[in-house]
Amino acid sequence: MVDDVFDEVGLKVEDLHASYGAVEVLRGLDFEVAAKGVSVILGANGAGKTTTLRAICNMCNTSGKVTLGDDDITRTGTAEIVRKGVAHVPQGRGTFPELSVLDNLMIGAYTRKDKEVKDDVDRWFEIFPRLSERSDQLAGSLSGGEQQMLAVARALMCRPRLLLLDEPSLGLAPLIIEDLFERFTTLNKETGLTMLVVEQNANLALDMADYGYVIESGEITLSGSAEKLKNDPAVQEAYLGA
Amino acid sequence: MAVATPETRLQSRVLATVTVSFAMDYVLLLQRIFDALFNSAIYSSLALALVIIFRSTGLLNFAQGEMATFTAYIAFVLLSGPQPRLTGGGLAGLIPGVPFSIPLAIIGAVVCGMAAGAATERALIRPLGGASDLALVNITIGLLLATNSLMAQWWGTGPRFFPSIFPTGAGQHFVILGARLRYSTVGVWAILLSVLVLLVLLLRHTRAGLAFRAVSISPSNAELVGVRVGPTLMYGWALASGFGALAACLSANSVLLEPSMMLRVLVYAFAAATLGGLDSPKGALVGGLIIGLSQTLIPAYVPFIGFELSVLPALLAMVVILLIRPAGLYGTKRIERV
Repeated sequence: MVDDVFDEVGLKVEDLHASYGAVEVLRGLDFEVAAKGVSVILGANGAGKTTTLRAICNMCNTSGKVTLGDDDITRTGTAEIVRKGVAHVPQGRGTFPELSVLDNLMIGAYTRKDKEVKDDVDRWFEIFPRLSERSDQLAGSLSGGEQQMLAVARALMCRPRLLLLDEPSLGLAPLIIEDLFERFTTLNKETGLTMLVVEQNANLALDMADYGYVIESGEITLSGSAEKLKNDPAVQEAYLGA
Repeated sequence: MAVATPETRLQSRVLATVTVSFAMDYVLLLQRIFDALFNSAIYSSLALALVIIFRSTGLLNFAQGEMATFTAYIAFVLLSGPQPRLTGGGLAGLIPGVPFSIPLAIIGAVVCGMAAGAATERALIRPLGGASDLALVNITIGLLLATNSLMAQWWGTGPRFFPSIFPTGAGQHFVILGARLRYSTVGVWAILLSVLVLLVLLLRHTRAGLAFRAVSISPSNAELVGVRVGPTLMYGWALASGFGALAACLSANSVLLEPSMMLRVLVYAFAAATLGGLDSPKGALVGGLIIGLSQTLIPAYVPFIGFELSVLPALLAMVVILLIRPAGLYGTKRIERV
């Protein structure tokens, strides 16, 4: 169990275990994400980063406890968790390659019943003009960077409380990654959206985040403010190439 | 000036005969095409049912034909009047016969078929979500056998007359270039195409349609935007079974209603769906046309293939097309990044 380190907790994970068949990938994680804050989970390939996000959304066999705000979502189905305001940009981006860009945004708003969906589409087209130009094209025909923009816009179409990002930098050119992370920061500052980012690119992730965790072989080995992690010798050696 | 010798007279007579026989062949060809069109529409409908389920659930539903036949029996019961002539045995006796007009009975059968399709997904497919595709296919084969036996138990195996929704008597046809195009052929195509247009509108312009397309592409990603995958698949099974019910009710008049009447049709529909590309509704339509036409035309023009072997050329055509285009004519080629 962790002490409550934040004034207001957006997401609280206690003793989270997850396994694929006989292989246990997560061995009892405890961590929190501050409401309106950005937290990052750092880790090498195979450490269990992706599984952590999947476990939060109940997409694999889990035990433990996951609380969203005051809501226990441990046994809630994936689609219901999305309806409660958790948007997840999974590895591989989670877009629908055989649907048009516009349809991808519309399906992102599937859980909404209000009349402002069209306004939100226009807003995202304004923020990402490239998507607007390609509105009728199939999402599969977009470049990697454009697809990641679409994935983020699609996730935000449901007006989430919590955004889960699974290695948003994967497979993108450095300039595009920088632009993308700048947008995440702006988004967090302007809307107060709570974010949990899983990354290998520790430099960028720690610049954006205010709190961080390091995960190794399914266990959290280190945690602290982003500042503290950046100056930690072990983190510097393992993830910052210092 | 040529003198008409006996020889040239003979030549011109032969020429005339050949010309006449060609002219007759032309009308006959058109006639054969018109005749084949009816079956083509039926194959296309059932192929569409297979495609809808394959696209969404990734599963070939071998029970599609028997489920469709069952709905034709339901239409039959609905049509049988207050004193059911056909109660057969068992539970069927409990179904009250109501004097329904044919279109109403078919609509009733389609609605029952859709409910049965949805129930099948909910009761037999969804609980086994973790099982392999092969296991699920085996379940549908089991369902085929079970439904077939159930129908034999309730209504007997003997063929029964099923009325046609279209006028089918002598003279109920258009004459186009000397060939007869039956009203029933025009009718069955009109119904197939209008239902298909409805389906496309549903998929393209409704929220449920968008969700259905998303689930077809990736169930796990669909779940991540809040789409409930189970109910969406159920909706797909209902749509598919509706198409199957239409196919059975529209063809029961020409093949006679009996428990195994859709078994052959199912084989052709499988061929049509595979030929067109298993995930393409357009492919199902075109595939049904190709199978229907080649089934009639090839035995007619290739003497050593009798009508008993009519399925052979269609299947050969399928093999050849699949060798050239493994995904079928309109199927989606899935590119996987490794």
